[in-house]
Amino acid sequence: MALETELPASFASQAAAAAPDWDAVYAEQLPRVYNFFRYRLRDDALAEDLTATTFEKAWRARERYRHDLAGFATWLLAIARNVAVDHMRARREHAPLEAAEDASAPGTPEEDNARASDAERLRALLARLRERDRELIALKYGSGATNRAIAKLTGLSESNVGTIVHRVVQTLRRDW
Amino acid sequence: MSDEFLNVLRRDPPAAFARRLRSRLHALDAPAATERRAPARAYRWLATAASVAALAFAFTLPAVRSAAEAFLDYFRVVNFAGVAFDPQRVEQLWSNASVDLPTLISGHVAISTPPTPPIAYASLDEAGAAAQMQVRAPTWLPPGFKLTSVEVIAAHELRVTGDTAKLQEVLTALGIDDLAVPAGLDGQVVTVSIPPIARILYDNGAKQIALVQSRGPVVSFPAGVDLASFAEIGLRLLGLGRAEAYDLAQSVDWRSTLLVPVPLTAATFHRVEVQNGDGLAIDAAAGENGGSGESMVLWSGGDSVYALRGPIRAADLLLMAQSVQ
Repeated sequence: MALETELPASFASQAAAAAPDWDAVYAEQLPRVYNFFRYRLRDDALAEDLTATTFEKAWRARERYRHDLAGFATWLLAIARNVAVDHMRARREHAPLEAAEDASAPGTPEEDNARASDAERLRALLARLRERDRELIALKYGSGATNRAIAKLTGLSESNVGTIVHRVVQTLRRDW
Repeated sequence: MSDEFLNVLRRDPPAAFARRLRSRLHALDAPAATERRAPARAYRWLATAASVAALAFAFTLPAVRSAAEAFLDYFRVVNFAGVAFDPQRVEQLWSNASVDLPTLISGHVAISTPPTPPIAYASLDEAGAAAQMQVRAPTWLPPGFKLTSVEVIAAHELRVTGDTAKLQEVLTALGIDDLAVPAGLDGQVVTVSIPPIARILYDNGAKQIALVQSRGPVVSFPAGVDLASFAEIGLRLLGLGRAEAYDLAQSVDWRSTLLVPVPLTAATFHRVEVQNGDGLAIDAAAGENGGSGESMVLWSGGDSVYALRGPIRAADLLLMAQSVQ
């Protein structure tokens, strides 16, 4: 699920084309952005809202990327990061809100319960992380970004990203 | 080190959400300004629909909201189409004329079955039973909004009696001397039967959104009425130029399309797809020089027509419209 290597199934084929198939791009990118917010926040409805905000911002400016499709995914995540930061800032300025709620994925009732339970456990663990660490986990496991892409987004070095992610995963693994 | 457990939170976005967002994004692609600058393109679409424009001037704003409910009350609608007009031009047109429109109209409109005040119901089912229709509601609401009331306005009916001389008098008073009112109108009656109208209100404590729905009203015209000619008159009363009004009047199927005048300075509009059908989105908030702040989405489905309006973005109203079931 490496962002830059496998991301652009449609990007790669369209990179040289004059008019990208934005619907295909949308279909590819939506799960990455949506899951970034699911890992970043604890509220599914909020994840939808912020995903929508991210795509609206990107959609309005997407023509800029006709000749730079390879950077589109990173650019989209950069917008998502800013949207998340804006939200966190507003939340701090107004009122706490996140509701720990998760809609279970389709499956048998037993599978649904187990999955929901695991998801809640993970959400609870993520909630205890520092903001920066949680964001790195959201980028890595939510959006599927590579360490290199995360480094570009955050300004950290690639090796630093690897080190931090490794340490955070160890901590989460221990508490899991 | 296994990190498999970190994937348990991943899941596909809900299909309904993905669909709504896709529609919302596409809605962003069709700015009304483009349509305003390319009337020929708009006309091509208008030509596929049908409507009644004789009362178009009734929609002069700021009451975009009341406009939506007005045409739900008075027209049979299969399609909606927008046409931009300049309110200042209309104001100038009418201010220079000594025409008392309400008096002129009142002498020729008879309400045979008056509308009753809205009656509130405890549930959609009860409202549906009263309205004799399935009252549909959105499954998605903008954050913070909650359903606050459901009400039904009973069926009513009115009759409009034609008067060629009076209408010609209006045109003359407005300085429109290149149009002649078609003959044969005198004494003819147009009967408008309006089925019950259901209205659902949503509130977030500061703003209110309304979903208005009804079966298409039944409008019976005298045989042989030249709707295009009357539509042209209506468009001229809206301030459209001679050629523009003629072209538009001739290109629209006036029996099934409702033309919705949208003031240039208060709103923008564009065509949208609502549940596999055509609709019209009016984004008042995006208008130049402010505006009323009331946006609207209009569409038809089955034998019913719907209007969603509220002081939020048309894109959000469109999301609501897409989720109506």
